[in-house]
Amino acid sequence: MSGGSARSLGKGSAPPGPVPEGLIRVYSMRFCPFAKRTLLVLKAKGIGHEVININLKNKPEWFFKKNPFGLVPVLENSQGQVIYESAITCEYLDEAYPGKKLLPDDPYEKACQKMVFELFSKVPPLLLSFLRRQNKEDCSGVKEELHKEFSKLEEVLTNKKTTFFGGSSLSMIDYLIWPWFEWLITLELNEYVDHTPNLKLWMEAMMKDPAVSSLFIDPKAFRGFLDLYLQNNLEACDYGL
Amino acid sequence: MTDDATRTLGKGSAPPGPVPEGLIRLYSMRFCPYAHRTRLVLQAKGIRHEVININLRNKPEWYFTKHPFGHIPVLENSKGQLIYESVIACEYLDDAYPGRKLYPYDCYERARQKMLLELFYKILGYQNTIFFGGDCISMIDYLFWPWFERLDVYGIADCVNHTPALRLWIAAMKQDPTVCALLIDKNIFLGFLNLYFQNNPDAFDYGLSC
Repeated sequence: MSGGSARSLGKGSAPPGPVPEGLIRVYSMRFCPFAKRTLLVLKAKGIGHEVININLKNKPEWFFKKNPFGLVPVLENSQGQVIYESAITCEYLDEAYPGKKLLPDDPYEKACQKMVFELFSKVPPLLLSFLRRQNKEDCSGVKEELHKEFSKLEEVLTNKKTTFFGGSSLSMIDYLIWPWFEWLITLELNEYVDHTPNLKLWMEAMMKDPAVSSLFIDPKAFRGFLDLYLQNNLEACDYGL
Repeated sequence: MTDDATRTLGKGSAPPGPVPEGLIRLYSMRFCPYAHRTRLVLQAKGIRHEVININLRNKPEWYFTKHPFGHIPVLENSKGQLIYESVIACEYLDDAYPGRKLYPYDCYERARQKMLLELFYKILGYQNTIFFGGDCISMIDYLFWPWFERLDVYGIADCVNHTPALRLWIAAMKQDPTVCALLIDKNIFLGFLNLYFQNNPDAFDYGLSC
């Protein structure tokens, strides 16, 4: 993955040139779970791409022309078309590129994946607030809420009787929710899925996926990043480089 | 009178039977903007459907088997499959039914419409054609419309006075046959609002003669 481990671009940096033909560019950050979704899909579909990391604590001015929200991930193709919002980038890649389809063709099955995605939507802000509090106040309220959200996902797997959220093989919805479960592993919080056995089995199955394992974050680097990021340190995004 | 002009079902009502083949059922409420999106798509694509209105302040117990929190809109087909969340329901209808496609064929244009939806409340600077998707009405216009139709009723239509492009869009939308067919009567909607703010459970059936 060219440039995936490159230093981030920050304020005052020169804007990058146009995207070469035959490649698609993703503006990313090594530890961003939302950008991870897009990287997973790029890897799973074998799409030729280049990565430009953005310093999210010190954003380049030119980046707001790519995405007015100033967030990663953002895709840019050689026609200069720009796509942002992680779920939209993933769906775009699945539609625009050949090879294995990650989203099902069947309209109902596709709608089911989107309904599970909605069901998952409370997890990212909950996990983030949990991480922010960890060393300070009591976070048992957040823990309880996380348990509740995980139980909802457990119910989906129990009712479907399949290993993955979209059926017997890994598909889009699994990649979309994976990055936050990767956090659980890197932060050694696996006990959070003790009461949700199917979810636990799903995590184990995900770890065997080539795209997931090749993009797995180094736990030490992640902890180092997290500490600096929560202190708003400008160097956080390049930790370990 | 539109096809959803029926009294709501509330607590103690009998659950409806299975959906007949060849139809799709929408659980709805006449004044809900989210359900309005789905009704617009059903109308625009000419999809045969039946509507069951739900009393949102007095929900039937059986309705929680259709949606865990009793939200609307929910689609139910003759296979018993349930689809909820208004945007997901609209996309499902576009995918599952033939005829006029509301989302564009080009995947970048589709992605652009979805990004626009995210910008829903920050839209003013982004419109550069009559309709949000180009020169013809398409999915994104129907997804935005319910709120703008209500602007007039709420008496805050003035907020688009300094946005001529948006005013032009509203005028163009009112010419669309689908939008026209489902236009809510201003007085009936005001009557609904009045009762709704008093927490009157009869609000949802306001204006029905049956």
